[in-house]
Amino acid sequence: MIDLLPRTSLANADDRTLAGRAADGDLRAFEVILRRHGPLMRAYATRVLGSNDETDDVVQEAFIVAWRQLPNLENTVALKSWLLRIVTNKSIDRVRARRHHADIDELEFERPDGETAATAMEATSLDEALSAALSTLPEDQRRCWMLREIAGYSYDDIAEQLGLPHSTIRGILARARKSLVIQMEGWR
Amino acid sequence: MSGDTPLAQSVDDLDGHTLEELSDYLDRDRTPADGSIDHSPGCQLALASLERLRRLTGLALEREAANEAERGDDWIPRILGYIGLEVRAGRSIPFAHDETIGSLAITEGAVRGLIRDAGDTVGGIVIGRVRLQGDVTVPGESITVDVEASALWGAPIRVAIDEVRAAIYERLTTHTELVVAGVDVAVHDISEPQPPASPASPPDTTADPADRP
Repeated sequence: MIDLLPRTSLANADDRTLAGRAADGDLRAFEVILRRHGPLMRAYATRVLGSNDETDDVVQEAFIVAWRQLPNLENTVALKSWLLRIVTNKSIDRVRARRHHADIDELEFERPDGETAATAMEATSLDEALSAALSTLPEDQRRCWMLREIAGYSYDDIAEQLGLPHSTIRGILARARKSLVIQMEGWR
Repeated sequence: MSGDTPLAQSVDDLDGHTLEELSDYLDRDRTPADGSIDHSPGCQLALASLERLRRLTGLALEREAANEAERGDDWIPRILGYIGLEVRAGRSIPFAHDETIGSLAITEGAVRGLIRDAGDTVGGIVIGRVRLQGDVTVPGESITVDVEASALWGAPIRVAIDEVRAAIYERLTTHTELVVAGVDVAVHDISEPQPPASPASPPDTTADPADRP
């Protein structure tokens, strides 16, 4: 066989190719998917959960579900948003389970581990400033903000996912938005 | 915290509008156009803030993801170890043989693996999903192989496709008794060649000095 062309590595393949191979049972392709999207899913899960205590478990559960459901995924181009949906489901399952054991008022004022000191004004870059601002939000506000802005959920999707009325979600997002706008104002 | 900035002062009343209304306006791609928003300097300032907030939320999470990646990847083998036990066998493809010695078959999953391996020997193209069309469970039944693929930008795609088809055909006739009537390759993506591996540089998200408060 003539081999004039450079061998293309799986690491450079597009999501659809990788998802197709993984759907067929190719573990190597799934590993590339894990490396490509896993870190963002972990960061997202940590933000939705409010701490990284359960990130490992949630992301593992989510990717196992993804592996099993990949053969039925129609639109493999939208792999990332599909993965975000699965991670959201698994994260919110955990949050709900936690609520059975804790008073909701306590959760409101919880802060992620090790993120007490940073404030938006002390950050050295815009995105760091926003990370710090996000960390100051009450947990429900940050969670709704991530579902809306990262996973692209509609107000109704969030309401359904969290089991709260549409109007409550609107209110939570309005408070989050206002707080973030004011905190980031100094960075204009 | 500079609580005396113009927006912080006026955030609850932006020329008669609320932040929430402006956010909804952005969600609707500013349609239908609303003159009381479009011609209000205060609203324009707030809209710019909201747009920046959206962009930065994505950037912030990407940076957090990069930090995650630096923390290590021991979670990857754990997941792979778990799902590696779940085989996608698919249909059972029999070999013709003397039935008195028992049954002989290869799984559809294994055949897909053969096809991927054959495709991977060809440069300039990566094959994706593989479908065996036809009743592979009946010996001697003619089937076709449908393959999705992505090609490398700049590679002569026709040459690569012909090579992939030949490689798959050869592999299947060597290792199986499938009667392959055709191998169809559909290229769905042309990917940019990646630059040679170099020390990773972090994404440039540093604020312009003029942006500093």
